[in-house]
Amino acid sequence: MSLADLHSWLLEEGIRDDLDAITRLTVRIELDNLMADPSVQSAAAIDWPRLILAGSILARSEQRTDQEAALRIATAAICLTDNQALKDAGAVLLGKLSNFRAIELATDRDLLAADLDGRLGVALRLETQRREMDRSILVQSSGIWLQVNDFQKRFWTNAAGERWLSASAPTASGKTFLVLQWLIDQVIAGEARVAVYLAPTRALVSEIETNLKALLGKPELIEVSSLPLPDKYKAARTGGARVILVFTQERLHLLANALGDALSIDLLIVDEAHKIGDNQRGVILQDAIERATRVNPKLKAVFISPATQNPEELLTDAPQGVQTIAVDSDSSTVLQNLIVATQAPRQSKLWNLTLRQQDSTLPVGTLQLASTPEGLKKRLAFIAAAVGERGGTLVYTNGAGEAEEVADLISQLLPKLESIDSELSQLAELARKGVHHDFRLAPLVERGVAFHYGNMPSLIRQEIERLFRLGKIRFLVCTSTLIEGVNLSCRTIVVRGPRKGKGHPMEPHDFWNLAGRAGRWGDEFQGNIICIDPENTKAWPSGVPSRARYPIKRESDAVLELGDGILDYLFKRGQSDLSSLEDSDKFEQVSAYLLTTFMRLGSISVASLAKRHDAVLITKLDQTLGALAAQIEIDVDLAARHPGVSAIGLQRLLEAFRAYAGDVENLLPAEVASNDSYDRFITIMGRINEHLFLAFAPVSRIRLYALIVYKWLKGFSLARIIRDSIEWHQKAGKSYSLPELIRGTMELVEQIARFKAPKYLSAYMDVLNLHLREIGREDLIDGELDIGTKLEFGVSSTTLLSLMELGLSRMSAVALYEKISRDDLSKEGCVAWITERVDQFQAMDIPAIIIREIRERLTLPSDLAT
Amino acid sequence: MPAKPISLGPMHFDKRGDAVAYLKAMLRRYDVGDRVSAGDAVILRAALEHHPNAIAKIGCGITHFSVRTADFGTKCFWVNRPDGTTEKFSITGSIHGS
Repeated sequence: MSLADLHSWLLEEGIRDDLDAITRLTVRIELDNLMADPSVQSAAAIDWPRLILAGSILARSEQRTDQEAALRIATAAICLTDNQALKDAGAVLLGKLSNFRAIELATDRDLLAADLDGRLGVALRLETQRREMDRSILVQSSGIWLQVNDFQKRFWTNAAGERWLSASAPTASGKTFLVLQWLIDQVIAGEARVAVYLAPTRALVSEIETNLKALLGKPELIEVSSLPLPDKYKAARTGGARVILVFTQERLHLLANALGDALSIDLLIVDEAHKIGDNQRGVILQDAIERATRVNPKLKAVFISPATQNPEELLTDAPQGVQTIAVDSDSSTVLQNLIVATQAPRQSKLWNLTLRQQDSTLPVGTLQLASTPEGLKKRLAFIAAAVGERGGTLVYTNGAGEAEEVADLISQLLPKLESIDSELSQLAELARKGVHHDFRLAPLVERGVAFHYGNMPSLIRQEIERLFRLGKIRFLVCTSTLIEGVNLSCRTIVVRGPRKGKGHPMEPHDFWNLAGRAGRWGDEFQGNIICIDPENTKAWPSGVPSRARYPIKRESDAVLELGDGILDYLFKRGQSDLSSLEDSDKFEQVSAYLLTTFMRLGSISVASLAKRHDAVLITKLDQTLGALAAQIEIDVDLAARHPGVSAIGLQRLLEAFRAYAGDVENLLPAEVASNDSYDRFITIMGRINEHLFLAFAPVSRIRLYALIVYKWLKGFSLARIIRDSIEWHQKAGKSYSLPELIRGTMELVEQIARFKAPKYLSAYMDVLNLHLREIGREDLIDGELDIGTKLEFGVSSTTLLSLMELGLSRMSAVALYEKISRDDLSKEGCVAWITERVDQFQAMDIPAIIIREIRERLTLPSDLAT
Repeated sequence: MPAKPISLGPMHFDKRGDAVAYLKAMLRRYDVGDRVSAGDAVILRAALEHHPNAIAKIGCGITHFSVRTADFGTKCFWVNRPDGTTEKFSITGSIHGS
């Protein structure tokens, strides 16, 4: 019998009954409000020594199921038995699985007596120590040895040298923590002077920035910034402090533009790299990586993705001669229990829970609900409230509105707390002052429940995430934002019929990207995924998905595989009427990328992507792109500054400027302080829609879009924009729903003011400046901050920009700016203003969380003295 | 009723209706958010001085004129004053005095 045969025999026959028994017992201790079940076998009846021996054999296997069984046995020995020798054996088994964090957790929870090493025999101790040494890495910059798991060890070893690396491992593998350690090590002790960490969302950018700063401590040896401003980069390049820039792909382009394309990066880390396949923004990421590589072909790139099928795919575009390596892991550090919940026949308050394993199912018990769950929202809310009562419970909903309602329902089932935790009160205060006095989040948070969606201001969302991690928020109701790039894990996740975006059922890999968040390594032994109504085909059209890994496919490749679709689009793109252009959501970004690439190389056939596609298609593409390029005078450098914006659109805009009969000054945006500003934005957006691309649709909403852009740029707080909108509705006698108005305003800010407007207005300005140079009106070209950067951050005054350069979130910066008279303060001026008044901030009605952020981000002289 | 002639700066119109048509054509040449050119501003200033509320409309003075949105998706001329205030005015109101 081979070792592999032994492993499968053990699982299928040898220890099957005992393994089922301990699985049932360990899962039951995870779930609240289960009815007593006399059929559950006692832990005392288990043959533990035999089971642990089997676990030790299974631990040597590379197979996920074998490793999971070993982890289950180790966890059960520690959690279910009272015998110290058995618990110690469980801990040794965890050591064999390199799961040192779980041993620490057991010790912290008093499940395992301290000084395990002291109790082991000499031989076992030697073996344990050898394993610990094998599983340790030296952090050069601090001289500290870190204990790591197998994936972390392989990452660290393989990340050395100049080769490109693509690492993939499930959530809860300790990826982010290790990569940040490694990054810091490279910048402090290695050669990298300028490192860029790319993350797909602004939420993740600010989270990574905060984590890096915390890891570095104060005083900071290296600069960390998420603003695309050239000063820190230039300082690092000219011998000053080294810098880590944390950006979205759009911000990387903004900085490269500000530097006239001279942005030379030594080390590029791409987090959530599978999002290179995202519709519309995937190709912007691809373009950012290629742009950085063009400037510095010696750049080292490291890609990180959650459980993906093919991490090596990201390495195919490495420059010639650069070595590459993929580091892939599928092993789990935390047990993940996939449980389905089905209503007991004719008993609406009783729900049968069944564990689904690879090839079998196991009844776990019956969940008892407090009330009858009428309707789907109540079903989700009541089951979550019951099964995850102890907290760490994440509830997935299919939209922001639903998230608010489900959170409200859950909160009603919880007892009102006698006293409210001060951090929860502070978050409620921030929600009331920073958004609206009646924002639904506030009263919910006071009961330990919150909701979470994409367009929320980052300061509020990050605080929600932090308090959820701390356990103060016990229930968090989220939307698909969570799978779009927020690092958040939970103990239990409850889900019914999950959709991605607007109504598309989730693909198995998306579902598992979500489900994979159940289980906090080092904080919990197990994670639970509760799927409600598994047999309901409306909720689960293809059933509850089996475990699946994400297939990486570039957005550009996916579009090219559609064949003629992109050719048709490109052909129509050359025609003048943009309003009849169909499928632009799918094709515009990639077509812009292809056109710019053609303009640079003279033929797509020499581009890296050509090797992945049919030669006939590439020839046809070359012909179509050639016909378009022949009409374009815009040079490729200008086009490359605006990824996702089509060069043919830029050309049409230039022609419109040339044909413009009025005073050329009217083509420029008016100063935001002027009375013309709002109306000028209306006209500019209309011009963009007509000539460049139909970006601001539907056209009937242009005025609203212009208003949001104007207010955002003017530095208005979200609370003020919301207040204004309410007043407008009241004055005009129009009815409105407050939750919808609040969500709608947040969405307009994020999607229009911070995403579309910067992208297209920045391109508009570049083409206009070209026109102004052509007609000898350089005097009208403004050398100050690019409008794209101004819009992304919502700043137009020097003071506001200085506050954000100091590292404050926009919410905090605006809260201060509302109190500062001068609009021309430098960073030093702002620090002086703050220092003088920081003790009065509370009396000035500034929310406590904002005061905390200010104190954390700024080293104030008063803080140094104490 | 005989046609009433009107002069707006250098421009002379035999009929007030012609002046209104001229100003409306001027308005059409502009997009919302545009600043009115110096040449057109001379005529507009003269028109505004004919407005029955000219004194209030002009207030502390005129820096320049703009074209901006008005009610119901239309656009109209606005007067901008040195103190930063601004007010819209109607073409027919200025010419016909109502």
